[in-house]
Amino acid sequence: MFQLKYFPESNPDRMQSKDTVFCEINDSIGIITLHDPPGNVLAIPEFIHPGILSRFISENDIKGLIIKGYGKNFSAGGNLDAIFDASQDPNHLASMMDEGLKLLNLIQDLDIPVIAAINRVCFGGGLEIALACHIRVASDNALLAFPEVNQNLMPGMGGTFRLPFQAGLAGSMQMILGGDTLNAGAAKELGIVDFIAPKDQAFEFALNLMQKMTHDRPLKVIRSIMAALKNASACTPEEAMKAETKLFCSLATDEAERRKKEEA
Amino acid sequence: MTIEWTVEQDIGHVTLSVPPSNTMTMAFFTEMKALIPEITHLQNLKGIIITGKGRHFSSGADISELLLNADETIMLDNYRVLSLLEQMEIPVVSAIRGVCLGSAFELTLFSHFRLCSEDAVIGLPESTFNLMPGLGGTQRVAALTGKARAIEIILRGQTFPAADALEMGLVDAVVPKNEVLPFAVSFIQSLPDGFRKADRNVLLYKYLKPFNVNG
Repeated sequence: MFQLKYFPESNPDRMQSKDTVFCEINDSIGIITLHDPPGNVLAIPEFIHPGILSRFISENDIKGLIIKGYGKNFSAGGNLDAIFDASQDPNHLASMMDEGLKLLNLIQDLDIPVIAAINRVCFGGGLEIALACHIRVASDNALLAFPEVNQNLMPGMGGTFRLPFQAGLAGSMQMILGGDTLNAGAAKELGIVDFIAPKDQAFEFALNLMQKMTHDRPLKVIRSIMAALKNASACTPEEAMKAETKLFCSLATDEAERRKKEEA
Repeated sequence: MTIEWTVEQDIGHVTLSVPPSNTMTMAFFTEMKALIPEITHLQNLKGIIITGKGRHFSSGADISELLLNADETIMLDNYRVLSLLEQMEIPVVSAIRGVCLGSAFELTLFSHFRLCSEDAVIGLPESTFNLMPGLGGTQRVAALTGKARAIEIILRGQTFPAADALEMGLVDAVVPKNEVLPFAVSFIQSLPDGFRKADRNVLLYKYLKPFNVNG
């Protein structure tokens, strides 16, 4: 068994109001748990304050992040009542959604790997969170959907923008316009899910995968590789190549130094 | 010399020839820098095959030598020379037998097609040496497998059998042991002129899928 280290619950700065999210650390892996069982509905789109998340990662030298839901489900998505209430003041709703979007952008841009561990229900805002992660692990009994269209709504935190990268335009239309619910196998076929874990075992699978990717790796190696992989899609090939060379040479210098010390 | 250059039936063969491991040393890159610009100017070649002498393609770079020579200018220079292969108008095919790891696999990523034998072992183990791919591997693997798989492959640094590499899109065909080289030759001969203008997926489907052991 691994050891769980919870942040002191008495420190309000560490937690969302009502403890809607837990942060814990296991072997330098940060674990964010969405907490509002059974559906882990998101009270507000910004389910954790970006500053708190950044500090959690940097102060603890976190090498990888796993986002999961508390209990059986990942997340049933946003709180529709809160969204309709907020829509009384269009500016309020817009800023609320914008905060959620910025948080998801921050997660996607992290220079450590982020895995979404999806058991059972992953709908709407929950799926938007999962799409912002770098790797999606779903249990074989997971269900993924953007049901917003059934309420005459649509995804509002980057889902329409992120899904086509994974599922293509046709698959995205099937999900967002059709509101279809996909099981894990269909989601993998469409490219939304990267790995399928046994029933209810998404977190265990994700933790094992994350340990294999981070356990013996210095943080700098992880960050360098993640930075290079980000450049692969964000830069021209020439820029990406120059950056890769620079990152490589910096690691090689460190490693040469380390070996020299080891020999001495 | 660490590389042999031969032409048979209008097909050029670049053979890494320091068996059994065909390690890519600084001498290898120096020779490549002299060889590649030459062969890109040759007329009448139908294609180029990159392969290793003996049982293995190559175990990759000589790490201790590489650590002493990790210079940005040198590495970018190496990269630019290998890019010339990718830009060629004739098909460049890697024929992979046995082990093909690290820089060696990155070398095959500059070719247009990667064919491998059933017993091939593919991987980018750099991160297990506290390093990372430095010859364009991060970008090219991400382009082939998608970012999620690329993160897993590169951070984990594990090696895969040919069948897994095929499933992930890292290689284009898996053929029986000892048939890789003749298959690469007949594949090049079967490709239409101006293949670069054709859709790569159509070419893979039409010319490689029927021959895949696991396809």
